[in-house]
Amino acid sequence: MNRTLKKLFSNTASLIGIILLFIFVIIALFAPLIAPPLTDDSYQIPRMSWEVNPQPPGFPMSEDIRAIYDYMGVEVRYDKAIFGTAEGGYDIFYGLIWGTRTAFRVGLITVIISVLIGILVGSFSGYFGGWLDEILMRITDIFLSFPFLVAAMVLTTILGRGLDKVMIALIAFGWMGYARLIRGSILATKEETYVTAAKALGVKDVKIIGKHLLPNTIFPVMVQATMNIGSMVITAAALSFLGVGAPVGYADWGQMVSFARNWIIGAPGHAGQYWYTVFYPGIFIVLFVLAWNLVGDTLRDILDPRLRGEL
Amino acid sequence: MLDSGKLLLAVKDLRTYFFTEEGIAKAVDGVDFEVYEGETLGIVGESACGKSVTAFSIMKLLDYPGKTVGGEVIFKGENLLEKSEEEMRRIRGKEIAMIFQEPMTALNPILTVGFQISEALMAHFKMSKEEARDRSIELLKKVGIPLPEQRVNEYPYQLSGGMRQRVMIAMALSCDPSLLIADEPTTALDVTIQAQILDLMRSLLQGFKGALIMITHDLGVIAEIADRIAVMYAGKVVEYTDKRTIFYYPLHPYTFGLLTSIPRLDLELPRLNAIPGVVPDPLHFPAGCKFNPRCRFVTERCKEEEPSLVKVEEGHSVRCWNVERVSKEAKEGLLVGEV
Repeated sequence: MNRTLKKLFSNTASLIGIILLFIFVIIALFAPLIAPPLTDDSYQIPRMSWEVNPQPPGFPMSEDIRAIYDYMGVEVRYDKAIFGTAEGGYDIFYGLIWGTRTAFRVGLITVIISVLIGILVGSFSGYFGGWLDEILMRITDIFLSFPFLVAAMVLTTILGRGLDKVMIALIAFGWMGYARLIRGSILATKEETYVTAAKALGVKDVKIIGKHLLPNTIFPVMVQATMNIGSMVITAAALSFLGVGAPVGYADWGQMVSFARNWIIGAPGHAGQYWYTVFYPGIFIVLFVLAWNLVGDTLRDILDPRLRGEL
Repeated sequence: MLDSGKLLLAVKDLRTYFFTEEGIAKAVDGVDFEVYEGETLGIVGESACGKSVTAFSIMKLLDYPGKTVGGEVIFKGENLLEKSEEEMRRIRGKEIAMIFQEPMTALNPILTVGFQISEALMAHFKMSKEEARDRSIELLKKVGIPLPEQRVNEYPYQLSGGMRQRVMIAMALSCDPSLLIADEPTTALDVTIQAQILDLMRSLLQGFKGALIMITHDLGVIAEIADRIAVMYAGKVVEYTDKRTIFYYPLHPYTFGLLTSIPRLDLELPRLNAIPGVVPDPLHFPAGCKFNPRCRFVTERCKEEEPSLVKVEEGHSVRCWNVERVSKEAKEGLLVGEV
């Protein structure tokens, strides 16, 4: 494990990934300091103007909105749209900072729960075999036969709008890969003599799976999971972009890109006039996904003995 | 005839077949033997005679495509073949334990030695982690591992082959089983370590109330440790008697062949004796007696009719048509020097 960490930090690509992730973690942790919320609902992006058109970077909060906050007795500690505003005056900077928390939440929760489901299905299927394996794997096949994005979209639409619904949809159609991966490794590992030896000692099946099989089979899943955190965030963003994700005004990167949809081209005669509406959210998403992929790639290189040059 | 204690295990007409795509492989096809308390039964035979499959069948550890299709395994008066998987789990390790052939692969490389011994203890007794750990250290000391307090935290790769086999023995003995099955425990070790392990097993047997089934292809090991011997060939017991009788009055041509192929320093032999041919493929057994293609005493009857295990005298059963001829030659050929 020490060796793994050492390699993670000595490899340039993974170092970049780790630094990027570190920056994102800092942003997420210190969001209330970087972009102080104006209302109790800190995930609600504040509006800097009532204008439909996006406002350029540096735009100060319009007077009528400030008047509302003053009327409510709220101290306005945050009144400048550093990255400009999106459609409807929603502040891009605020959305991105608080959206980092959303991204971590969506990425980690969906992947962790998917991995857990995958481990459960895959290990039972592989270890016990027989009809249980047959049933579980056919269910997995059924879920795999749906195109991921379409299935997630349909399910979110059925469940209704909201980030939790998006996560449910992503988990519902995201666990199958892990299940298959685990099942395959378990099938290979359970033939080892030490598994029979543990059985011959009367060790319970669940313990054999947990203590003998999973620790020997979990690494490929860890690599897969790390890489998938990024793609889960992208898919969640895609769902938000398509309008079935986070509710309007919720701090979410996909939502930010979605706000930019009508302004990407710019105004007639002023191509790219509203570049900031798509550039900043885009950069955040790209860097976040890139960071996870760099780390995941290096993890794979480290944990795969064939690439390690030892076989 | 040994009659040391109560009947502990009786295997009656055990049949375990492997249902493969090429056909049914009758790996174990009618095995009978008894094990009494405090006694050591040796099961001998070449590789692929069904010795290990017999052991695995007793513990019901065989997976598809292997299946025990017939017979009885009566352990302490109860038929194990009728037990549920959970009942068997409670018996494994606690009542019947097993030592495996390859200590290299029978220990999990990523778990400490101490954990792997504690595991059995915690599975069968209500024991805390600390108690199990203390008991593991005690067991490691018992099997002669130096610095047990330190070794208990080490991983299998840090131990030598002999050490690992000692750990396997400690694991098997952890819950004081009534029956210990040792499946070629010394085969994977080099000769000096083999001797050490055998010595260890013998000294442990002194204080061990239970019985031991020793599976091996090494007659030297059997001579050292067993009280009673079952010789297996092609999935069947072909001769079953006490140790002395096997070595001095063998009545089956296969036993006879095995004995004459032991290298001997006291005789000037131009070359080492061997039994011609190999153990038949369990998918294509010959008709009649399964040993007939390799047998020196073969007659027409052997090729047509399979003999059954017949008691020739008290405590000595043989599966052969030509007992008289084998007996005569064995008496002339074998009784030279001590075994």
